[in-house]
Formats: sequence, C-alpha cells, structure tokens
Amino acid sequence: MKIRFWGVRGSFAMSGREFLRFGGNTTSVELVTEAGQRLLIDLGTGATELAKALMGSEFGKGQGTLPILLSHTHLDHIQGLPFFTPFFIKGNQIRILGATPSSGLSLEATLQNQLAPHYSPLNGLENLAAGVSIETITPGETIGLPGFEVVTAALPHGSMWTTAYRITADGKTVTFLSDVEYPAIDPAAGARAGSPIATAIALARGADLVIHDAMHADHDYDQRRGWGHSPARAGVAVAECAGAKKLALFHHSPDATDDMIDQVVARTAARTAVPVFAAAEGSYLEV
Amino acid sequence: MQITFWGVRGSYPVPGAATVRYGGQTSCVEARSAAGDCVIVDAGTGMRALGNKLLREATAPQHHHVLLSHVHWDHIQGLPFFSPAYVGGTRISIYALLTAADELHQVIGGITRHEFFPMSLEAVPAQFEYHQVEPGVGFDIGSFRVMPIALNHPFGSVGYRLDGDGTSWAYVSDTAPFDQVLHKQHFLAGPEALTDEDRDALGAMREALIARLVGVDTVVYDTHFTPDEYERFPHYGHSTPDQALEICAAAGVRRLVLYHHAPSHGDDQMDRIAAEYRDRGAAIGIDVVTSCEGMTLAIGPPERGAT
Repeated sequence: MKIRFWGVRGSFAMSGREFLRFGGNTTSVELVTEAGQRLLIDLGTGATELAKALMGSEFGKGQGTLPILLSHTHLDHIQGLPFFTPFFIKGNQIRILGATPSSGLSLEATLQNQLAPHYSPLNGLENLAAGVSIETITPGETIGLPGFEVVTAALPHGSMWTTAYRITADGKTVTFLSDVEYPAIDPAAGARAGSPIATAIALARGADLVIHDAMHADHDYDQRRGWGHSPARAGVAVAECAGAKKLALFHHSPDATDDMIDQVVARTAARTAVPVFAAAEGSYLEV
Repeated sequence: MQITFWGVRGSYPVPGAATVRYGGQTSCVEARSAAGDCVIVDAGTGMRALGNKLLREATAPQHHHVLLSHVHWDHIQGLPFFSPAYVGGTRISIYALLTAADELHQVIGGITRHEFFPMSLEAVPAQFEYHQVEPGVGFDIGSFRVMPIALNHPFGSVGYRLDGDGTSWAYVSDTAPFDQVLHKQHFLAGPEALTDEDRDALGAMREALIARLVGVDTVVYDTHFTPDEYERFPHYGHSTPDQALEICAAAGVRRLVLYHHAPSHGDDQMDRIAAEYRDRGAAIGIDVVTSCEGMTLAIGPPERGAT
C-alpha cells in the first residue's frame, strides 16, 4: 500500500514561502493498493491537487471509481469538494462515506448546505455530473471497500465527534487519527477500556503507520485545551501504547512555518523510540 | 485613499510554490482613507491575515465594516478566521445583497453552523450587525460614500464604488460579461439561449455599471479567465481582462486592476498575463496593474513628476 499526503494543514490553507516544504493545503490523504485501488480520506483543499492528477487518468474519461472517507464535516475537511473535478465528469462513480454530524443533521443535508445556491454555483449535489452516493457510517462498524478493510471509531473533537479510521490493505495498516483531542493524554489510560485514548490505541494497535493530529506544539497546548486538537505528545502516547511502527504528525497549525514544524519533529523524536516524521505534501510513500 | 490586497485569488485558496509571488488566498481588499477610516471588501481567506494585522495595530476594540459582493465560499470563508471577531467589544457590520429566502444573518451565520465550524458567528464575542444593500442605493461608512452596483453572477452579486478623499475606486467582482449569459437564480449546466428580455436586462446592467464607473480612478475587476478559458466556461460567471478593458474604456477609467485570478494560474502565467495586458491597456490609455497579495495602491492620479 502506498500513501500520498495532498493536504496536511489544519483549519486553514496557508500559502506563501514559509509553508512550501510541508505544504499549505488542508486535509486530504490518498491510499493506493498494489493493485491500483484507491481510497481518499477527506476533501480539504489538497483534494483539488489530487483532482488534477486524477483527470489525466480514467477519471478524465468518466470511468473512475473512488470511495472517500470523511473524518468529519468541518470546512477544512470538505472545502475541496466543490472543486474536485472528477465530480463534474459523467460516468465517474464516487462514494462519500462519513458519520452523521453530531448536530444530528444528516451527512447528505450537511453537504447540501455546503452547496446551497447562495454559497456555491453548483446549487446542490444533484448537479454533480458524476454518480455520487452519500453513505452514512455508524462509527464502530467495519467497512469493506474494494481492496481495503476499514475499521471505524468515534473520537471527541471539541464540540463534535470525528471518525477515526484503521485501514488495512496488502497486509499493511494505516490508522488515521486527525482532529481528535483526548480528555486525558495518559499512556496508562490505555488500560482503561472505553476512554477515548484507549479507543485510539485499539485502533492503532500494531499499525504500520499512525497519522495523528499534532495541531499544537506541546508547549502551546495548555492555552488551547478543549479546542478539539492534540499536542504532538498525544500521537506519541498512542503510537507507543499501540506498538505502532511509525508516527506521522499531521494537521499542522496554520501558524506553524516549515522551521517550526522541523522543531516539533526534532523535539518529538527525542522523546520516543517510535520513528516519527511530519506529514508533508509530496510524493507517494510506501507504507 | 489607498487599497491593499489581502487575497486576490478566485474559487479556492491555492498554496504552493506556484503561487508564492501573486498569492494563494481568496478575495479580500482593505480600503483606507487618509484619515484612517477602513472598509473591507469581501471576506475571502485573505481576511485572516488582515484580521491579524488589524488586531496587532488596535489599541481598543474596533468597529469593522465589511462589504460583501456575494456569499460564495471564496468570498466569505475568511470571516470565521478574522481574529477581531474573538475580541469582546468589537463590532462588525456586514453589508450584503440578500439573494436567498433566509435573512442575511442566517445565510452568513450559516457558514459556521455546528457541522462546519467549531464556533458559531452568533456566539463569538464580537457584535455582528447585518445590512442589506440594494444596487443603486448609496450609503456612507465614515468618510466613504459607498454605491452598490448590480453584477452578472450566479444567484446575484454586487460591485461597489467607493468615493472618498476626493477620489474613487470600484470593486467589480464577481461578474460575467454582459452579452452571452444572464445569470439568474438557478443552476446553469451550460449557456442558455437568451430571450429578448434577457438581452435587455444584460444591456441595462452593462449601461448602469459603465455609468457608475465614469470618473472612477481605479477599477478592481474580476478577470478570472483567459479568453480561451472563457470560451469553455462562459456560464461560470467570470470575465476576462479583455472584457474588463472594454468596460473600463467605455467609462474612461484611468487604471484597471486585474483581480480574482483563477486558481490554476501560476506565477509564471500571471507574469505573462500581466505583461500582455499592461501593453494592451497602454495602447488605449488605461494603466493595467495585476494585483498580487500584499500590494498597496494609492488611489488618485499620480502626482506630477512621479513615475
């Protein structure tokens, strides 16, 4: 299985020279099996870059199929949807899978609101030329997608819930834990079944790669507790307790320049034996 | 009076190596009078950096005025990231065209519904006030005289002429030209045949725009498309620099600023567009400037002897 980060930024897309190495696009992560089956997580602005690449393939001819898992519907995770060009080609079959937002409004109604005529000239999902299905996930269930097995879990994200994913393909496992904040970041909490961090650890158990929310530098976290995001050390706690093989720090703060992210990685790597790196826009990585 | 560009991009923000010089953030322009009065036009992603600057400079909570051309995402999604909104005592007056059945506060507040954003605009410390604008009905903000102008864009859009300090500029974005497609309040899968009534409506809109632009020093215009791109997407609601030049020439405008650049136009292509239209403008006596993020332009004729 290969992975490519098309967007690694949290909250807000950042352009400019200080954000070139890690990239300024918001969340979008592509997974590809050895057989070429593809899965996308989230539709942040990074998805618009992937879209350009896909249009040169079967998606440009209306023969593409793609499942998209949404972690949640905050704007930085869906703002690329109206500009994801494979939606505009008749014949493409695109599935959008996600949990019902915690307000209780359905996922489909939420995305319809995003494309409401005053906000978007698309005027609604029904005007996307591709075949689009909106499918509701019940967190906790396991989903079979062509080439992938996906285990899902709900984790707290400030005032709402996010869906975390454990994705297995080709005998490799990637666990996606973005936009999460644990009430207690306590490595020992792994023993307390049912706590959010225990849920995350279970989902990351033995994973080849854990992608974890690291919006806050550890020293900034105390002022930002309750905002729904993790400090870098939360990912370390989860990866260590889960026996994960590698940790990718993800969902970088819009205020974090390339140099600041380098420092977070250096400080984080110094405190754990788990190999750690900061997710960056770029090329395909072998999991 | 001067204007500063905080976001010059259309559709969606485009980070990356290809946009470092012209900028990747979406529509947001700050106008300042000589006395320091400030009006913000559009609340695209450029508004985040503007808000951070305003907050750094402020010694007390401010009253901010935001004119919206319309509420497509690229023109409003900076609003929840405008840091003064999180400071108690701040007042934010929003001026916009009502294009949906909902009230303005519902349409604009709707961008921060629970599913979309962690903090509702209704719940932030700043006090929001909403004012509905009507094309042709002017109003004052501090020392600025503001005149909304109807434009041709899906679901409706308004431009603004701002007069102050004895000079004026206008913000004409987003708009399609006034010949091929009349935008109404329904989805266009492609250009629709025009009725005689549609042609009359387009002609009237064009004439009213030109009349409002007569005597304006600087016009910031939606020039999203190259002519080739426009031919393929005439129903997307955007113009080309040629169409902007044609309007500015008809109104006798001194300077045209190219704005709302397509997200696909990287810096090198923008350099070519800037050079080409600088020459085309010069040939008909219009100073054509291509906006980039961070650019400040003094409004009014250049002082004698200045280059």
